[in-house]
This record gives sequence, C-alpha cells and structure tokens, in this order.
Amino acid sequence: MSRWRSLVAAGAAAATIAGLTFGGAAAQTPSPSGSAAGKLTFTIGDDNDLDSMNPFVAVEAPAFQIFFLTYDFLVNLSQEDLSPSPGLAESWDQSDDGLTWTFQIRDDATWHDGQPVTAHDVEYTYNRILEEEQGSFIDYISLIDTIEVPDDQTVVITTKEPTLQLLTALVFILPEHIWKDISTEEAGTFENNPPVGSGPFKVVEWEKGQFYRMESVPEYWGGAPRIDEFVYRIFNNEDALVQALRAGEVDFADSLNANPFNSLKETTGITTHEANIPSFDEIGFNVGANDTIPDADGHPALLDVRVRQAMAHAVDKQVILDRVLQGYGTIGTTIVPPFSAAYHYEPAEEDLFQFDLEEANRILDEAGYEDTDGDDVREMPDGGEPLRFRYFVRSENNSTVQTSQFVQDWFNQIGIATEVEALDDTTLTDAIFEGKYDMFHWGWFPDPDPDFILSIFTCGQRPPDGIWSDSFYCDEEYDRMYQEQKTVADVAERAQVIFEMQKKVYEDAPYIVLYYDANLQAYRSDRWTGFLNQPEPDGDLLSGYGNYTFVNLRPVTKGAAADEEEGGSAFTWVWVGLVAGPLLLVAVALLIRRRKGEEDRA
Amino acid sequence: MAGLIILGFFLIVALAAPLLADSRGLSPVGATGGVLDPPSLDYPMGTDDLGRSVLTLTIWGSRISLMVGFFATALSMVIGAVIGIAAGYYGGWRETAMMRFTDWFLVIPFLPLAIVLASILGRSLFNIILVIGITSWPGTARLVRAQTLSVKERPYVERARALGAGDWHLITRHILPNVFPLIFANTILVVAIAILSETTLSFLGLGDPLRISWGTILEFAFNGGAASRGAWWWLLPPGVAIVLVVLAFTMCGYALDEILNPRLRRR
Amino acid sequence: MGARRYLTAKVVQALFTLAFVLVFNFFLFRILPGNPAQILARQRRLPVEAVRELERDFGLKDPLPQQFVNYAGDTLRANFGISFKFRRPVGEVIQGRIWPTVLLVGVATIGSTVIGLLIGIYGAWRRGSGFDMGSLGFSLVTYAMPEFWLGMILLILFASTSGLELFPLGNIRTPGGPASGIAHLLDVGRHLFLPALTLILALLGEYALIMRSSLLDVMGDDYIVTARAKGLREAQVLRRHAVPNALLPTVTLVALNLGFVVSGAITVETVFSWPGLGLLTVEALQAPDYPLLQGLFLLFSVAVIVANLIADLIYGYLDPRVRVA
Repeated sequence: MSRWRSLVAAGAAAATIAGLTFGGAAAQTPSPSGSAAGKLTFTIGDDNDLDSMNPFVAVEAPAFQIFFLTYDFLVNLSQEDLSPSPGLAESWDQSDDGLTWTFQIRDDATWHDGQPVTAHDVEYTYNRILEEEQGSFIDYISLIDTIEVPDDQTVVITTKEPTLQLLTALVFILPEHIWKDISTEEAGTFENNPPVGSGPFKVVEWEKGQFYRMESVPEYWGGAPRIDEFVYRIFNNEDALVQALRAGEVDFADSLNANPFNSLKETTGITTHEANIPSFDEIGFNVGANDTIPDADGHPALLDVRVRQAMAHAVDKQVILDRVLQGYGTIGTTIVPPFSAAYHYEPAEEDLFQFDLEEANRILDEAGYEDTDGDDVREMPDGGEPLRFRYFVRSENNSTVQTSQFVQDWFNQIGIATEVEALDDTTLTDAIFEGKYDMFHWGWFPDPDPDFILSIFTCGQRPPDGIWSDSFYCDEEYDRMYQEQKTVADVAERAQVIFEMQKKVYEDAPYIVLYYDANLQAYRSDRWTGFLNQPEPDGDLLSGYGNYTFVNLRPVTKGAAADEEEGGSAFTWVWVGLVAGPLLLVAVALLIRRRKGEEDRA
Repeated sequence: MAGLIILGFFLIVALAAPLLADSRGLSPVGATGGVLDPPSLDYPMGTDDLGRSVLTLTIWGSRISLMVGFFATALSMVIGAVIGIAAGYYGGWRETAMMRFTDWFLVIPFLPLAIVLASILGRSLFNIILVIGITSWPGTARLVRAQTLSVKERPYVERARALGAGDWHLITRHILPNVFPLIFANTILVVAIAILSETTLSFLGLGDPLRISWGTILEFAFNGGAASRGAWWWLLPPGVAIVLVVLAFTMCGYALDEILNPRLRRR
Repeated sequence: MGARRYLTAKVVQALFTLAFVLVFNFFLFRILPGNPAQILARQRRLPVEAVRELERDFGLKDPLPQQFVNYAGDTLRANFGISFKFRRPVGEVIQGRIWPTVLLVGVATIGSTVIGLLIGIYGAWRRGSGFDMGSLGFSLVTYAMPEFWLGMILLILFASTSGLELFPLGNIRTPGGPASGIAHLLDVGRHLFLPALTLILALLGEYALIMRSSLLDVMGDDYIVTARAKGLREAQVLRRHAVPNALLPTVTLVALNLGFVVSGAITVETVFSWPGLGLLTVEALQAPDYPLLQGLFLLFSVAVIVANLIADLIYGYLDPRVRVA
C-alpha cells in the first residue's frame, strides 16, 4: 500500500522479519495456567514493533497484519489474481452511466462482539473518512459523491465520475457502534485495543514491545480458520529470528535480507520463496523544485533531460541487482511494477537506456557539458558550476548505501561528481520537501492498482501544496493522461493510457528505477501446509492483500511440538541456582558482618 | 608494557593502512571476493556480504576508530581543561557555577544524551566526535580543577603573583605545565572510553555508514545476519580489535595511575 | 556538618540538578531540525490545515518563554505529549516498558555487585596470586568489551542453533506461554539469563577492580595494623575491619554507576529483543519519535539523579565522619 512508503519505505529491502511459529512455544513449556495443550498456534515474529491498533493512525506493517485479519474490505482482492471478489459485499452492480454502484452486503457477517454487520457500517466508515479527510484512506474513495442505504443489506454509492476506484478501495470497514462514540479529536489517540472487526481473527492479548496474540473466529463468514490462534512476536535482530526459524521456534520468516535467506536455503524442512511484490527502488532527481519553492537549491544541470538520460546510461542495474540484492529481484524500468501485470509497461529493447558509459559521455559532450578546468568534473555549458551533485542515501537502509558506492564510481567515469551523504528518513523527507537536494535513493511500495504511483508525478503533488512528489516532475500532457486513466472503465483501454504515462516518465527520467525487489520468505514446510500465494503463481505467501493463507493454513502432522526446550529449562535452573544461591548467601553473611562491625565500633 | 606494544601495533596499522590493504577494497565496486567467504589464503579474515575482505575493512576501520577516539578525546580534554583550570584558578562564585554545571553534566546518563544529540545533529563522523567530546569532559574538569587548586597554592606561583604576573601568564606558565601531566594521564583513559562510545553509537546506527569504522563493521554484521550465516569472521576481527585497543589504553592508563598514585605501590 | 544539614544540602543539590535537566531537555529539543508538526504530517498525508492544527497543538507558534512555561507545567503534571510513533501519551508508552528494564538492571546490578565484590576481596586478600592476576585480567578484558558485542557472542554460543541452544533467542517470555505462577517466573528467568549475564559480565570487572584497590588501601591503614597487632587472624581482620570499610566507596560506585548500566541496557536490550526502555529508546530513535525520546531522556536522567542522591545518603549514613561529626 502506498502509505507503507514512509514506514516500510523502500519496501522489501527493509529488514523486516515476520515469522509464523508453530504452537510449539506454548506446548513446550510446562504450563499449568497457560493455554490448553493441543491448541494450534502460530507465532509471527518481526523486527518491527506494532505502533497502534487504530487503523486511522497505524503505519507499521505489523499493524496491517492485524487489520487484514481483523477487518474486511467491502470488495476483496482475489487470491488468484487480485481481481475484485466478494468481501463484505457479496455482489455489486454498476449502472449503465457508470456513476451509480449498488452493493449487496452479506447477511452472515457479524462483528466480534456479536452485532451484525450491516450496510450502515459501510456507510459510516466511508462517510467518516470523507468528512474527516482521513489521509491514509481518502484517496481510495475520493470520487464518491453520495452514499445511500435503502436497507440493511444494500449500499448505493454515486460517484462524481465513472470509475473503477470502488472495487480496489483498500478501506477497512469499521463497526459504527464502536466508532461513533470516538470523536474526531479522540480518534488520533484512540487505542482501539482490542479492535472489534468482522474478520477471521481477533486480538486477545497485546504485550507492548513483545507480541500480540489473535484467536480464530469460528463464525467467520468465509469459513472457520483451521488454526486456533497465532502470535506475532517482535524480535529486534534478524539473526535471532533466523535462528528461531531453524530451531522450530518460529515457522515463517518474512522480508528477509539476502544473507540470512541464502543461509536458510540449504536447511532441511525449510522452504524458501521469492515473493513477487509491487515494490521498486529508484534514484530520484530534483527536476525543478524552484518552480514551486523559491529558495529550493537543486542543481541546474538536472533540469536538462539530456543530463538525466546520460546518467540513466551510466547505471549498470544488473550489477546492482547482483551485488547489492544478490540477484533477488528484477531489473527496474518503469514506475508501475510488473506485479501489476495488466498495467506494467516494459520499454522495447531499443528504447532502453542501456549501460553504456561512452554513450553517456557522448550525450554530455554534445549537450555542451565539458570539463573546462581539467579536474575530471564537467562544468555547466556556460563554464560555471561543476556537475557536482548531492546524493542522499538512507542511513536506515544499507542497500541504498551500498548502491551509492557503485553509482558514484560510474558517475565519476562520465565526469559527474557526487557527494554521498546518508540521512535518516525524516531529514531526507525534509530535504525533499524543501527542494534542497540533487538526487536521492529511495523506494516505493505501490498499490496493485497503479493510480497512486502514477499520481506522484502530477504537478499537483509537488510540495509545498502537494505531498507525494519527490522529483518535482510536472508535465501538462502527463497530468491530462492521469485524469483520463482515472475515468476509463475498460481495463485494456486504461492500460493503454497508463503505458503512455510510464513511457513518458521513463524517457524524461526524473527517476532511474533501479530494480523491482522480491520479498524473501522462508517457512517450515515440514510442519505447515496450505500457504496460498496472492496473486498466483509467485505472490506473497502471507497476507498480500487479504487473509487467505491464514484461513487455509494447517499443520502437516499433528503434535509435532518438540519438548527439547523443557530439558534445557530444567538444566538452566539447576545452573542458575548453583551459581546464584551461594553468592546470595555470602552476600547476606557479609552484610550481617558489616552491621556487627559497625556496632563494635560504635 | 604490553599495552604500549599493542597500541604501537594498531597505530602503525592505522598509519600504514594504504600500504597494508588497497583502499579500493573498501568499496563494493573494487571488492573481489565472494559473498561471505570464510577465511582463506586470499582473504585471511574472510569476506563480508559484499565480497569485501574483512581484514581490509578492519585495517581501514582502525583509522576511523582511532581518529574518532583521539579527536573526541582532544575535544573533551580542551573543554575539561578550560573549565577545570578556570574554576580552580578563579575560585569564588565562578568556581561554584562552573563546578555545579560540571556536576550536572556528570549525572546526565551518557548514552541517552549521546543518542538524543546524535539524532538531533544528524549522522556524520564529525557529529559523532562532537557528541562524544561534549559528553565526556566533566570527569576531566573535576580532576583538573583539583590539581589547579593545589598548584595555585604552591610558593612559586604565589611568588609570581606577588611579582605582578597576569592571569594569562600564571595559567600558561605555571598552572598548565603542572596540570598537563595529569591531563595526559586522564586522556589515555578517555580515549578508551571514546573508542567504545564510537562503537556503541555506530552500532545503534548513529554513525556515518559511508565511513568504515570498527563500530560500523559490527553494525553491518549485526544487521547483515552474520550470526545466522555462521560468519564469525565478520564479527570477531573488529570486536577483538576494539577489545585489544581499549585494553591497551586502559592498561597504560592504570600504569600511569600507579605511578601517579604511589600509595598503591606500598607493598 | 550535621547529619540534617548534610541531608538537606544533598536534596537541594539534587533538586537543582533536576531543574537543570528540565531546562536542558527543553532547549535540546527546540534545536531540532525541521518542525515536529510537519514531520508528523509528512508521514500521514495530512492536509495543510491539519498541519496548522498540529502546530497549535504543539504550541510551536507561541513565544519561547511561553513554550517553556507550558513545557515545564506539562512535565510536572507528567504530561510528556503524544508519541509520534505509538500515538498514545508518552507516559503511558514508557510505563508499559519500565518493568522489564527494572528487572534486567536490578538483577544485573545485584549480580555484578555481589560477584564483583567477592572477586575483588579475594583478589586483594591474595594479592599477586594466580587468582588475583587472572581476575584482574578478566576484569580488564570485560571492561574493554562493548557489551553488545559480548551479547552477540553469548547469543551465538548459548542460544543459536550453531551453539548450545540452552536459552531462548530473545524476548522476555514465551508468547502464549504461562502468564502467571511459578511457570511464568521460570519462563521469564530463562529469557532473562543471557541479557543479565551479559550486563553482569560487563559490569563486574569494574566493581572487582574498585573493591580490590579500595581494600588494598584500607589494609594499610593504622587501625588494621593495630587489629593485626592485637593478634586477630588475617581472615578476621579482613572480615571485621577491612572489608566493611572498603565497601564504602564500592557501594557508592554501584549507585553512581546507574547511568552506565542504563547505557548498557540500551544496547543489550537491542541484541536480546528485551522489551524494556532501552529497546524503546532505539525504536524511538529509528522513528524518530522526538516526544518519546524526550520523555525517555528525562526519565533516565531523573533515575540517575535519584540514584546519585541515594548514593550520597548511603555515604552519609555509612561514613562515620559525615554521620557523627
């Protein structure tokens, strides 16, 4: 989802780990008071902490894990190919003029507290988002004009323009009877613990900074999950998680780095998977912040499309993919990832900016950027400012740091100097927002629907009025096409427009899209089966955009829990006792003596 | 003695880094090894996840680590000496104010303060030096003040004052030369602390990831899955180097301490 | 100086230090790059009006003195603002993480003090022996070790699959495991063992060294010589006279050392995913969550100031010169 940028930012390269643990953990420890034996439990591990259970404020991935399982969408994205499929709405209908949508709400859905889910909840949720302009969700439903509820099972929505937007709206439907008591002001800090939803799992325990636990909801309209509960554990160290997976303490590791992923490949009982996700990393340029921000200070050479194209020729994406990502992912080209198969445009071979330093040098020579003072750095055509760019990378993401060392080397060879600086995300966001940068390395994790990622190149998104543009790219023709694609209701027709848009951005090169990274996952295939890719054939095994895996997941064999830990536990405690006991005794003895000594002297 | 030898060794390594290892080996572009190769004849300490020789990284890392250690210490010494001498020399309300200020700084827990400062100032080598420098001076200031107080009362200082010597003359000609040995002894211990601090701050991601120090190597190793891959060669060299250097500084410091504090040598 | 005057002086001094920390904390976070309201908005796609509203909430448009008065008032009322990351009051977020740190730091402090003192005493008593030299070397080496590095090594050795797998890899308890009773305590203990051991190892060297040298100091004093002359056995001299007096500086050091222990806890908690204030600090740092950082910084400072005060009071109580005179 688009809003994950600020958090998972750059997507999969971030060292997030999610793991599913076999219920072993509970079964392994002798537990007179704990959960009953024989319970089927998952534990998801992560090195990212949960921020909030309130969907209006949460941004971290573990929170979305909860939302996917707690709440439903009005219309789901199907597991096979992300096409619209029944969610809380079992069917829907678009009027002939394309402006009116009628959704039939299923009558077998209930909130976790027993109340029925009705059309009013949908109406309430959408209205609240529209009225409060809830930033993370409003873009999905911004074209809504009116919402009416003729009866409890029917929602009629009219839109300002014909659109398919409502079928891909990733908006969690919230229960009106809970949220109506939460005012706009309170919503910002409302804890929402536990969240009441209509999904297949509900939160039963949250130990902050440690884990949360969810239990299955057998009454779920989509069928009862086959597991009883799962736990999401928070680690702070990828190593520890990988070890936990190996030891069987954790059964699923998500978003791994290449190294640990490689180390798991040879392990028996563990299967690895390179999941196709909508994610890419780019080098972005400041192509005109001065247009909207007077005191912006981007380098003038970057306004010249030829300079950007020359730089695009000077980046060997294959080397970066092989050396930095160790080959996991594919070479990047355009801004709509291949994940959105219907909309991804791949430039023809002859249109690609091939890695060719001579060509890059030729373009720059031709454009009049020459090294006039013999320092191996080209100057502007007027002989003034040298082509020396500030190049910001993310201190939070080591891949960007590593990439910069390659890019710097290549750029040196075409007479462009770069000053690489690692910034934290906040500082980098500030620099971009103020237009005080030349180039940077960051990434996006777009929605399956390309609308959002296309929107960031529109003129209106440029700061300070807009928020999402980080290249200050602005092109009238592009903006026109953006509006056009929003209202074309035919997929193939819309794709044509979107292809043109991608082609334009590729050629104008405000971005050099480096690679589409993969989400590296590993799991205990000796224990669990029933994982579902979303989408087929190689999508995410956990929650891509739904709860499919969690509902379908089941153990390979029953009672696989090992009791090896128990021995360790007993052993440990004998050990601790042996060491600590005498020490304590001595300490007490010493203290007593000390008091006595004092009395003696007194 | 052992301390001096170790120190000498690492100083030579740091100074001779360009002779011992090609600096191209620091950049992934120039790296020639495989991914996480175990130690071999070509790579005596194996390679990291970008195919860089860990030995090369550790050798070049010594430069940054020692440099941060020395510069941060120098900064800390200057602040500590100025405040300590000023407080001790002038006395009165100025002394009270300065020493109270020192005491305040002394109680503020070091790492939280350093984290806050570093996160506000941004991540760079200079800021790391700055942060360590301005968090580690109070101990020195107290020591210097005490010494200044005792030097101030010595007869020849009194005499010089009676002869009309100015403050500046007294401080630079009489106080400083007498306080200096103490500052120097203290320096050695502070360097050890500064190097450890650099390691810790870098480990927490507050260092400059573009400048290889022992701390950043450890950070990369921790975040890069060194342990899960069983890549002990990635974790051990920088760690052992830190332990040796800090140990060497501490030993020299204690050795000096024993010389300066004869009471311990009684038996 | 009378006992009461000593006490009063120390308390007043601590209060002044507190005030200093408060002022310092205020200015520290006013020199932040950027505008907190804007940073917050950037992460949440807020419209411009909402940003202005946030600025009002933060009081950023007020003149500085007014801001300070508001800040001081809020702080005294334990209102530290809303965490950027968790979107809950900072006080509440911190509260949820206090106990793991108290447990870890407490156990580590007690463990390292007791073991460190014993090593120091024995080392001083048998000065120059193999034990003395060995423990001295050990103390110096652990002192020179970054505690997180030690933690990682212990983790590989005792918890990883390539090691002995005796202990869990992280966290404070087994999720879904026992939540109460003996089983719960045992579970927490198992998780506590490695992080506590790391901190104990990192700390005890210093305590051993201090105890050793302070004991050596004391043993040359006149009254010890007198005690020996009275014909007391060496062990008795040590136990009844030397050790109690040598304890004084060491005990004081333990309290004074809290700041150092807190620093250690930050990195050790990170290595072991121990869900305490240290880990929270690192999370706040990564966000970055300035209100939370500010609250944590204040809390750490206050804890250390209080510990110092306690050290002073203990010192005053134990040192006859202060107590009696």
